[in-house]
Amino acid sequence: MIDLQFDRVCKKYNLPRAANSPKRWYARAFAKGSAEMWALRDVSFQVREGEALGIVGHNGAGKTTILKILSSITAPTLGEVTVRGRLAALVEVSSGFHPELTGRENVYLHGAMLGMRRSEIRRQMDSIIEFSGVDKYVDVPVKRYSSGMYVRLGFSIAAHLDPDILLLDEVLAVGDAAFQAKCLERIAQLRKNGRTIVFISHDLAAVYRLCDRALLLDQGRVLMDGPARRIIDEYQEMSFGGEGATSSDESGCDTPAVCTSVSFSSPHPPDAVRTGYPMLARVGYRAAKTLANVVFRVSIYWPSGYLCTQLSNDSAVGGLLLEPGIGIIEFECPVLPIVPGLYRIDLAIEVSGQEINTLQRCATLRVEPGRVVSGDFYIENTWKIVTNPSLLAVESSRG
Amino acid sequence: MDALPEKEQAPNVDAGPLATSIDLGLPLPTAESERNHARPIKVIRPPTFSISTIFDGVRTLAQYSDLLYTLSLFRLNVRYKQSILGWTWAALQPLALMGIYTVIFTRITSISTRGTPYPIFVFSALLPWIFFSSSISSAVNGLILHPSLLTKMYFPREIIPLSYLAAGFADFCIASLILGGLMVHYKVSLSWNLLYAIPIIAILGGFAAAVALFFSAVQVRFRDVGLAMPLLLQVWMFTIPVVYSLESVPLRFRRLYLLDPIAGLIEDFRSVVIHGAVPGAASLVFPGVITFVSFTLAYAFFKSSEATMADII
Repeated sequence: MIDLQFDRVCKKYNLPRAANSPKRWYARAFAKGSAEMWALRDVSFQVREGEALGIVGHNGAGKTTILKILSSITAPTLGEVTVRGRLAALVEVSSGFHPELTGRENVYLHGAMLGMRRSEIRRQMDSIIEFSGVDKYVDVPVKRYSSGMYVRLGFSIAAHLDPDILLLDEVLAVGDAAFQAKCLERIAQLRKNGRTIVFISHDLAAVYRLCDRALLLDQGRVLMDGPARRIIDEYQEMSFGGEGATSSDESGCDTPAVCTSVSFSSPHPPDAVRTGYPMLARVGYRAAKTLANVVFRVSIYWPSGYLCTQLSNDSAVGGLLLEPGIGIIEFECPVLPIVPGLYRIDLAIEVSGQEINTLQRCATLRVEPGRVVSGDFYIENTWKIVTNPSLLAVESSRG
Repeated sequence: MDALPEKEQAPNVDAGPLATSIDLGLPLPTAESERNHARPIKVIRPPTFSISTIFDGVRTLAQYSDLLYTLSLFRLNVRYKQSILGWTWAALQPLALMGIYTVIFTRITSISTRGTPYPIFVFSALLPWIFFSSSISSAVNGLILHPSLLTKMYFPREIIPLSYLAAGFADFCIASLILGGLMVHYKVSLSWNLLYAIPIIAILGGFAAAVALFFSAVQVRFRDVGLAMPLLLQVWMFTIPVVYSLESVPLRFRRLYLLDPIAGLIEDFRSVVIHGAVPGAASLVFPGVITFVSFTLAYAFFKSSEATMADII
């Protein structure tokens, strides 16, 4: 069954031209119409029952507009959208709160806005309060709440909905780690039990975890529609893949040493760098004079911009001794633990702890699927079944 | 060889008892295959102005009736929170106006009320008028006071202006107690005809809803409405028989004068309360029809502009 269907949907926004101009209606009446902005152009897609669809794309690609149309906040300019089932949107979950009302009153208000009946809310009130963890403050006006409490209470109400279709928009970017884990667990429960999910996020790792399929949007058009893994790769490629390795000239010729190239290869299998297999990283350099205590760093960044890991010849005894001229430093990794994806690379050379050459985001590393990995990285391991009776006795006595 | 078994019998790392998965304290969602409910099918299309949207609108509104109730309740609650006099404010406004008009129209100048004491004469008209005017003036600003609601969440938008109307009605009920007190004080004889006040107020409320829906939809686009509203309502009050009686209007203007449905309704309300008079059939039917037609048009207009409110607010 198809739960959601977008059929050639276009959405136009009229942007008022020079909104702050002092001109009034009598002047405006003769001016040409306002500027048009097409947020969606001819967007068509379907989501099947029980499917989790991720939508990725740059800011302004039309992601939020899709969500707004789905949740009836705004209407399409052209085209038609069909929604089968009760839909709940978790878009800034606490925006419906009234600051003067207490937490409990806001639960009634917000729950009703999400389409819950008062009797339903009354029945679930205790559970909602408990889940949110704001039980001590539930009869205090929410204007006295911290922003974290706000969001937790908001999400807690939404978590008690049992919609057919769930829309998620960056909701997980808030709350502390423990609360985020609870939210993810709830979403996973809903997903496991066959609810349809549409998820919009810049957190590509979260899209990958949650979704089986994804749409790549660019300037209001659907660029690609396919398995989440492939779409995310494509999106990353689009975002920064084309930059390639560039050398920085900011250092000038008086820099004693510069990185000139970087390459990643795999001795086995030779076609691509794969998770769980060996990898060779080679950094080419040029040194102008003899340098002592030199450290090379190859930083590998997640798509999100966080440092994933780093290769370095740093050690307690100090760095390398570099002769003038060109050369290559080779890092050999027997087992590559990082998960498949497209990573960005920074290169740096340090002499006696002083960075003398840095190349930021100068290359990419594509890691292809290799050994099966779930989670954040691969752990090299072997396994066997242990049948030592004395060990079993210890296990069972532990209770 | 001795060391090995000892090491195995006393493992260094003990993870402790195995924890179960995160307990959310929530009932697990039922599996989709076991859920046996008819799924509503909703088709979202570009907005159009048509009377048929009203039926959809009313159906959705019925689904959200609890929201209308909750919001109206909290509207009252919030209005009087952090105020010392609280609910008394609902009665203070008509009382104060009654005092001022009584001074003006009995001490400074005088106005014919056919022997009715002026305080109850003016209060019995102020009461429905304040219900009408303050509901409209607060309802019209309702939507633009909640931009984040409009851009972040969906619910039938008419619930916001209607909740102000409901809160206005609650104020009306509180102030009615004062009217009751005045009736006792001036020894107005009670009769069953007082029940005619109910259809009068119902029509008045319906017309207020029509005005509020229309102007709040326009207000989202043109803020001029909110700025013009106080002036409009002030002028409006003097074009209907609140501080004077309908009889003081010259007969040749009477027909034109009564084209405003509110004028007839206010006068009817007063004569029901003070004289226990039965309103003429025509004086209820005409405003009733006007209200029905204008409400239908205003609601259809509201529904057609609802879909783009979030874009332009």
